[in-house]
Amino acid sequence: MKASYRWLRELLPALTASPKDVNERFTHAGLEVEGVTEYGAGTESCLVVRVTGVRPHPTKSGLRLVTVDRGAGQSQEVVCGAPNVPDPGGLVVLAPLGAYLPAKDLTIAPRAIAGVTSEGMLCSESELGLSEEGGGIIVLPIGTAEPGTPFADAVPNARDTVFEIGLTPNRPDGLGHIGLARELAALLGIAFEWPSTGEIAKTADVDAKDLALVTVEDAERCSHYGGAGAIDVTIGPSPLWLRYRVQALGVRSISNVVDITNLVMLEYGHPMHAFDLDRVRPDASGKKHITVRHAKDGETLETLDGVERKLVADDLLICDGQGPVALAGVMGGASSEIQADTKRVFYEAATFDARGVRRTARRHGMHTESSHRFERGIDPGDVARVLDRAVALTTTLAGASAARGRIHVQGDHQGVEPRPIAKRAVRFRPQRVRELTGVDVPVAESVGILERLGCEVSKPAADGAYEVLVPTHRPDIGREADLVEEVIRVHGMDAVPTELPPIRASRDVGGREELARRAKEICASLGLAEAITFSFTSPRVLEALAAPAPAVKLDNPMAEHQSVLRTTLLVGLLDAIGNARRRGERDVREFTVGPVFLAPNGEGALPDERLRVAFAIAGDRPAWLEKATPFDVWDAKGYALEIARRVSGQPVEIEPAPGAKAPAHLHPRGAAFVNVGGQRVGSFGPLHPDAVDALELDGEVLVFEMELDPFAAGAALPKFTAIPRFPASARDVALVVKDGIPAGEVEAAVRAAAGPLAEAVRLFDRFVGGQVPAGHASLAFRVVYRSPDRTLTDAEVDAAHANVVATASSKFGATLRA
Amino acid sequence: MAAQTEHTDPAAGIDRALTALREGFMARFRAAATEQALRDENAKVLGKKGELTAILSQLGKAPPDQRKRIGEGANALRREVEAGFETCLHDLRKKVRAAELEAPPFDLTLPARFPLADGGHRHPISQVREDVVNVFRQLGFAVFDGPEVEHEEYNFGLLGYPPDHPATDMQDTFWTDRKLLLRSHTSNVQIRAMKSVKPPMAFIAPGTVYRRDDDATHSPMFHQIEAFLVDRNVTLAHLKGVLAEFAERIYGPGTPVRLRPSYFPFVEPGAEVDIGCVFCKQSDGTRKGCSLCKHTGWIEILGCGMIHPVVFENCGIDPDEWSGFALGMGLERIAILRYGIPNIKLLFENDPRFLAQF
Repeated sequence: MKASYRWLRELLPALTASPKDVNERFTHAGLEVEGVTEYGAGTESCLVVRVTGVRPHPTKSGLRLVTVDRGAGQSQEVVCGAPNVPDPGGLVVLAPLGAYLPAKDLTIAPRAIAGVTSEGMLCSESELGLSEEGGGIIVLPIGTAEPGTPFADAVPNARDTVFEIGLTPNRPDGLGHIGLARELAALLGIAFEWPSTGEIAKTADVDAKDLALVTVEDAERCSHYGGAGAIDVTIGPSPLWLRYRVQALGVRSISNVVDITNLVMLEYGHPMHAFDLDRVRPDASGKKHITVRHAKDGETLETLDGVERKLVADDLLICDGQGPVALAGVMGGASSEIQADTKRVFYEAATFDARGVRRTARRHGMHTESSHRFERGIDPGDVARVLDRAVALTTTLAGASAARGRIHVQGDHQGVEPRPIAKRAVRFRPQRVRELTGVDVPVAESVGILERLGCEVSKPAADGAYEVLVPTHRPDIGREADLVEEVIRVHGMDAVPTELPPIRASRDVGGREELARRAKEICASLGLAEAITFSFTSPRVLEALAAPAPAVKLDNPMAEHQSVLRTTLLVGLLDAIGNARRRGERDVREFTVGPVFLAPNGEGALPDERLRVAFAIAGDRPAWLEKATPFDVWDAKGYALEIARRVSGQPVEIEPAPGAKAPAHLHPRGAAFVNVGGQRVGSFGPLHPDAVDALELDGEVLVFEMELDPFAAGAALPKFTAIPRFPASARDVALVVKDGIPAGEVEAAVRAAAGPLAEAVRLFDRFVGGQVPAGHASLAFRVVYRSPDRTLTDAEVDAAHANVVATASSKFGATLRA
Repeated sequence: MAAQTEHTDPAAGIDRALTALREGFMARFRAAATEQALRDENAKVLGKKGELTAILSQLGKAPPDQRKRIGEGANALRREVEAGFETCLHDLRKKVRAAELEAPPFDLTLPARFPLADGGHRHPISQVREDVVNVFRQLGFAVFDGPEVEHEEYNFGLLGYPPDHPATDMQDTFWTDRKLLLRSHTSNVQIRAMKSVKPPMAFIAPGTVYRRDDDATHSPMFHQIEAFLVDRNVTLAHLKGVLAEFAERIYGPGTPVRLRPSYFPFVEPGAEVDIGCVFCKQSDGTRKGCSLCKHTGWIEILGCGMIHPVVFENCGIDPDEWSGFALGMGLERIAILRYGIPNIKLLFENDPRFLAQF
């Protein structure tokens, strides 16, 4: 909302606060001033001058030399290129030498134009920042002011300070200057009075109710339809005060009648509409008949912006005898628009239901000054004032005669005067201010604040409570807490003390925050970098990763690649790898922790959000002493094992899943499952090469993904076992076995064969080549033997170990490595 | 005689050579066992010094009226060879891919390689999140989890957002095909907590939220932390006390806090919170104003207020017996201010060189 400081001062004669103070005060009362602009800056250094002579430029066609009278007998000649220089006697605006025009960042200096020096410039509106368009120099009506008068004195509205207020949607009263003035008066403790609606210059011998008949078919959507009229209207340009007032507030000046509707809207915050009564088509009986009704499906209306709107039954229309003429509360139609030859004007000021206007505006993709105000809630109590104001201005600015009286249709009420609107009564216990804010505002001050805001406050009841009647311009005030807010807002929130509350601590509910934090900490401690990835992805990517079909599809995604929610965490990580590689970064080790969104468990349930951890590693393993080599499946196994172990606090089983057993997004050569406590919780391996191709990842990527929810209770605690008191005996054995026999199977057999004395079995070397026959590998194990209650003899150990060799030989055909 | 004519007729010679090439190239391609071999063979046929070029170098000797025909034939052959090459390349790759997929599996029973622990990093948003959570935990707040895909009434209705009201414009929301939404703030957790736990309660709700906004300062997915306290006699002064404590611990000792009235449908009174600008703070504690605080000396960091009685009633809590406050802040903004990150997009690209800085 743009607000004019000059206008506020007119509405509040007692206002002495500077624009800076007004800005500050509004901002600290919740009407945040987001910007301040100086309208017509520079006009104060310009002068009204009278043209006394015009002659062509000696050499350049299109330019003229204009002699002007600056008053006090001074005269000067300036060069002017505008096409609309008036004849001698006309008044124009001169920017004299030294004047600075901020709109063009121009300081007037002597300037030679095609050989003639000009010491000043005749100004257009755009050069003074008064209007967006250029369109020739300003020509003032004869008699505006004496030559030599500063322009800003001659037309005060040409100079203003305009606040850009970021109004919150609960304050529709701030969408008009009267509302802002009332607010400011309350904030500053100065008097506010409703301004007069103005004198009616001439009254015609006709009643408003005879100009048109009004029927409202839906009194819920249109609780009040008000109408008034004026005849013998002369459409013309607005006087400059009006032109600059509306243009300062960002509304283009069109003509006197159109500008009047805009001025009244900016004044009262109540949108209105002007119809050319002679273009309102009569009904079958020949009468001008305005009907407020719902659209029929398929009906159309061409709105003022030239767009043909297809209407639906929920759209509320203003219709004449033959069809729609306006989309109620949103925009008028082209057919009954005010035009240069308009003679009779019918003004509409109505109360349309906020939700209905909003639905219609949204449906048609329209957002107008009118719909903006109706959606937030206009003052239903000011219809008569708004109409009176518009009609009075029409008689003074457009030479019109007012029709007598008004039309008010409010449900079953029809009359010249409106039926008063019932005001909401709210109980107010003054002690609630202290109870909710901690600030002791004296009762008299609280009551005073509410009264200044327009409330009527009763005498206190025996229990000290007041009954407060809420004014019709504050639809946001519905209960006591709202009144408390008004009091503290106006009193000032700076008065709120700072006091740490005695908090009665709660306990976590859900536990995911701590679970996620633990998983992140573990991953980072293993050398992975945390990525935070979008939950959005596309069905195509999920399909490429053979992930479950999306369970959450967006109705209004911002882009196709963000149209569904992920069912695997890998999407974002692989995105990061793709991006990094396109930027020339080959080595990526990233993890992420977050939910995936799976199909709901049962009808009506929300999607199943499961917390998971995932990593993706690509490129070379960090190396220093040796040559860098690419990450392989055993690296992935290392990360996977360690993450699962630390998150769960339990032993982790890695279950190789080669060939057909591999999850579809993994390479069948290197896939494996991660099992904890007999439960499959995750998988890892190289990404399937088809997925690498589909996602254009440019090279192998190792991925891992694991459920976290099974470990929400925290990692299992370690259980103490006694530290051995007796020495161990270690024996190494190198077994040559055929390729393809999994080392793990051999190890398990070794462990079993070594018997109960074997404390640990560890593969410490795998060797291929040399004297090991082709198609074979040598696996070297260290077996540690120990007894908890005695020192073992060599004989015992040798016997156990002999069984290892024998078993390996019989089970796998293993031979001892030579 | 005829044979001699043929022998000396250059056009016929070229035709013959082209025919031979046409009949032979595919077999040669098929014989290639590797991609490189196939490419070599292709170069032998179509390369600058290849067989086709060699044949066509004889074109000048052919009678002029034959040249066009021969040229067109040669071009057709070139296209045929190119198509053949692509087919063979595709087949070869498929064969290689199949072999790759069917190769003996890696022995994953072999011991793992233990991860090298250098270079681990926590995402800047995660770090901020943890710091803020810790501050509130130390004050006695606990974490309440909530879903990211939510019912409309938990995100809007029960929080007092009137239907079809411009207040919902403050948050342009993602809707799902099942009439659910992606939560537009973490305030949904207030409702979930108050409907399931009896007061008193002191909870925070950190989490991911979504709005349809995408520019240098907005991301369609971002993070918030909501904090709310419900007890007897909770006042705005208590809210200010918690905010002051928060500002001191996150932004440094002596950071001033001020409240400005504002509007959020689920609080009343509602306020925005400014803290003294952390960028232009002088050694004497004053602020001289800078571009980041728009020369006001204050920067806005969060929204808050006293929980609206309607929200209490919607959750079955008596607003005359209980009162409470709620506050909500965006984590990205804190991270951006704290680390001087110029564009919010950097936070979600996960470039390893970005993450390595934190």
